[in-house]
Amino acid sequence: MLKHNFLLIFRNFKRFKSSFFINLVGLSTGLACTLLIYLWVNDELNFDKFHEKGDRIFQVMENREIEGSIKTTGQTQDFLARVLAEEMPEIELATVVTPPNFFPSFTLSLAEKQVKGVAKFVGKDFLNIFSYPLLAGNKNTILANKNGIVISESLAKSLFRTIDNCVGKSVEWQIMDLKRLVSITGVFKDVPVNSSEQFDFLLTFDAFKDLIGIKGEEMNWSGSAPFFTYVLLKEKTNVDNLNTKVADLIKRKSKDDQHRTLFLKLYADKYLYGNYKNGIEAGGRIAYVNLFSIIAIFILLIACINFMNLSTAKASRRIMEVGIKKVFGAQRKTLVWQYMIESMLLTLLSLLVALVLVKLLLPRFSEITGKHLELLFGTRLTLASVIITLLTAILAGSYPALYLSGFSPIMLLKRQFSSSLGELWSRKGLVIFQFAISVIFIVSVLVVYKQIEYIQNKNLGFDKDNVLYFETDGKVIGNAETFISEVKNISGVVNASSMLGNFISTPEGGGMPGKIQWKGKEMILAGAAVNYELLELLGIEIKEGRTFSRLFATDQNKVIYNEAAIEAFGLKDPVGKIVDGQEILGVVKNFHFQSLHELIKPFCFRLEPQAGTSILVKIRKGTEEKTINELQKLYQSYNPGLVFNYKFLDQDFQAQYVAEKRVALLSRYFAVLALIISCLGLFGLASFMIEKRTKEIAIRKVSGSSKIEIVLLLTNDFTKMVIVSIFVALPISFFMVSRWLENYAYRIELDWLYFFGAGVIALLTAWLTIGIQTIRAAKINPAKSLASE
Amino acid sequence: MIQLTNIDKYYDSKFQRTYVLKDIILEVKEGEFLSVMGPSGSGKSTLLNIIGLMDSPSSGKYLLDGNSVLDLKEKVRVDYHRNFISFIFQAYHLIEEMTVYENIETPLIYKGVKSHDRESMVADLLDRFNIVAKKDLFPQQLSGGQQQLVGIARAIISKPKLLLADEPTGNLHSTQGEMIMETLKELNNEGMTIIHVTHNEKFAQYGKRIIRLEDGNIRSDTNRKT
Ligand SMILES: Nc1ncnc2c1ncn2[C@@H]1O[C@H](COP(=O)(O)OP(=O)(O)O)[C@@H](O)[C@H]1O
Ligand SMILES: [Mg+2]
Repeated sequence: MLKHNFLLIFRNFKRFKSSFFINLVGLSTGLACTLLIYLWVNDELNFDKFHEKGDRIFQVMENREIEGSIKTTGQTQDFLARVLAEEMPEIELATVVTPPNFFPSFTLSLAEKQVKGVAKFVGKDFLNIFSYPLLAGNKNTILANKNGIVISESLAKSLFRTIDNCVGKSVEWQIMDLKRLVSITGVFKDVPVNSSEQFDFLLTFDAFKDLIGIKGEEMNWSGSAPFFTYVLLKEKTNVDNLNTKVADLIKRKSKDDQHRTLFLKLYADKYLYGNYKNGIEAGGRIAYVNLFSIIAIFILLIACINFMNLSTAKASRRIMEVGIKKVFGAQRKTLVWQYMIESMLLTLLSLLVALVLVKLLLPRFSEITGKHLELLFGTRLTLASVIITLLTAILAGSYPALYLSGFSPIMLLKRQFSSSLGELWSRKGLVIFQFAISVIFIVSVLVVYKQIEYIQNKNLGFDKDNVLYFETDGKVIGNAETFISEVKNISGVVNASSMLGNFISTPEGGGMPGKIQWKGKEMILAGAAVNYELLELLGIEIKEGRTFSRLFATDQNKVIYNEAAIEAFGLKDPVGKIVDGQEILGVVKNFHFQSLHELIKPFCFRLEPQAGTSILVKIRKGTEEKTINELQKLYQSYNPGLVFNYKFLDQDFQAQYVAEKRVALLSRYFAVLALIISCLGLFGLASFMIEKRTKEIAIRKVSGSSKIEIVLLLTNDFTKMVIVSIFVALPISFFMVSRWLENYAYRIELDWLYFFGAGVIALLTAWLTIGIQTIRAAKINPAKSLASE
Repeated sequence: MIQLTNIDKYYDSKFQRTYVLKDIILEVKEGEFLSVMGPSGSGKSTLLNIIGLMDSPSSGKYLLDGNSVLDLKEKVRVDYHRNFISFIFQAYHLIEEMTVYENIETPLIYKGVKSHDRESMVADLLDRFNIVAKKDLFPQQLSGGQQQLVGIARAIISKPKLLLADEPTGNLHSTQGEMIMETLKELNNEGMTIIHVTHNEKFAQYGKRIIRLEDGNIRSDTNRKT
């Protein structure tokens, strides 16, 4: 029986070659998309999931109620971990750490060798909470020595060429003007890429306290600090109960802090569910995971629909086969199986093609998604591909299987070959569905593209182009002013200055938040400590008053606000007025110090020339290579042996929109695919329809219809379907893109042209597809096709 | 073997009921060779389909081999088709993408006959009908008469008791038609009950008994004198 089935299926593929190829191409690209997206989704879902005790590791988060809205932050004070571990018996271990991206990179030196790396200061239980496997050293004592350092495998290799015997050796780390000699207490395996904490070496938090002068017992609950606190709960702890206990901790400790509530968040959830809106979890990257999962499903669905439609369209040719089989004793379920096996076989074949496609596309896909994805057949991927394939086969095959096996032999004997109305409707419905999805994709692609274009061309209120920056390291630190003036002497340099921190840093944007008192209320204000000429370098426009100037020594106590700040203060004629003890020197026009997702908020510039940690240089356009070379020479004359690490401001700006750019690029590919697969289906369907109507076409030709008339006649039906699908798609896509645009405080206006354009694209491609078929049909020789009847 | 009592078959359309068969009473004994004649549209095929359990009457009684066979479950009906009743068609209805051999084999596959037994059974029939040389050809490569021989081989491979043929010679030239009728006669001589529909007087004479249908009624029912 099985052999018999396979034989028939094989012969059927041969008989209906074009449907076979359409299905193969459609299903294999659909499956390839799904597999690629699966790899990506799987990677996302597994982010931060490799910690053995992951289900018990939590981050302590805080909700702060300020002026009626709640701000959620993971930043806590250093002593919180200690207090929690002492007071809450449910907590097994707790640790304080410096948050990711807290420091620019450190320089580690061993004799003449210098290596840059990312450092993290952590409490002594850090390695007992998280699973970063050790290759050398004892987990329990490794962070006990205040002056110890634990380094990564690759760091050990670049310092010592080997990981053997490096424990006990001394190295010196340096950042800005700070340096310490520490001794290596252990080596850990490199942090996996799917970890949100990335670091090359660990230092002890006790050492950090010494560095910045935190005293052991000091506890000021009202202050704010940037540290992260992680806790490991004892097994079987009821998190909800513990959460209610933890919630009031700060309120209990400090009368002045009744607006602050603590809560625990599962560490493993932070990556995907990292966003908070007014104190309530509001998704995060999971939105993209969901979006792409849905896209994968839809593309596969489009391919399945091709299979269904082509199978039922060719049914009139198979009706005889079914009838005969039934007459000679085939049961319906036998036939259902036969057709199901047919779709399974085809899907399996498509899977093989899909795997080849995935293999070929994976490098590019990894590049777009910014991940290192690999096609490694473990149980998981195998299981996933089996399930995806099986589901696809069932989805694609079930309708034709049930439909075909439902033919009664009577239909065959009575020659009732015409398709039922319901069948025609469902086929039309499916085509409409396919094209509606394609149109939705196209609208989204157009809108996303336009929004990104808008972002790129938007006047940000400052000039990010041709500005590069680098950290002040080593000898530059004490001699910043001289260094800057030497930089200015380089011919390609337009201007140079310095500031504390970065001007643009993802995702919150540049500037350190600070608190000020205004009219009896506390206000949070972003701001930056800058050097002379920074505003000029960045092209930030002065609206009132003036910018910082070396000619006035008192400028150091004065501040410059942006328009948004002045508006928030409610000040008229602000220049010269005093806010929170500081005189307003000037007002700058609003500029986008955050991404365009955010409204422009109050911002404040302070003049602190000595505080600069990064040097910004504006370069004359076209002289980049030469100027950077000279900058490097200058930098290395100050710091021989150090690597000159610089970045362009524009890179940071672009980094704010990585996610949407990825989405834009991917959705463009997916939209094209969806359209192509839909058109393939239409192509096959059109050929069946035309075949059925050959006689009608011949008669029309004989009775004098022109070719054009025949083409129009044949195209008519399909045109109607595509137009209906456009109308179905428009409200849905309007809703979707409007929702997406709401993520941006600054966005394009939705124009009917996007929707019209998408409709035109869909219609044109459909016409092109059908056109090839209909023109061929219109050319048929009526004598021949009538004679053959 | 077949006992039809007061069989009616009608179709209801919006305004009227059209009778295709009206009050048919017919008994066919085991071993009979019955020819059904009548003008086009008189209900011959409908009658044959009802007898073959492919269509059901609107009212009346039908006993097959002593059992009532109205409103059968699919499984039972399929059983009858596998073991008891078989068909030959005017248009042969061979499956295009199967070879002669595979076409003949099909009923045995559905019947669940082992592949080894199938081989010898098909071989016997190919031999009997002198088409061994054609066994790997596809239907389109055969003449009409040869195709119908394959159709007969397929119909009788499962050793049915009742063979129903709806105009089996309708598409054939007379010599080929005669060959088919001879084959049917032979089968009848071996004990198979056969009912066939024909427009051809000469071919009708192969039957031992001839009934004539007109407007859904049996107009005449004559036994051929031997
Ligand atoms: N599904 C149906 N609906 C209405 N009338 C039908 C249907 N099937 C068959 N008929 C009618 O029944 C009559 C008998 O058909 P049939 O048994 O095929 O005749 P014959 O085989 O004698 O030429 C015809 O007039 C045909 O139009
Ligand atoms: Mg008939």
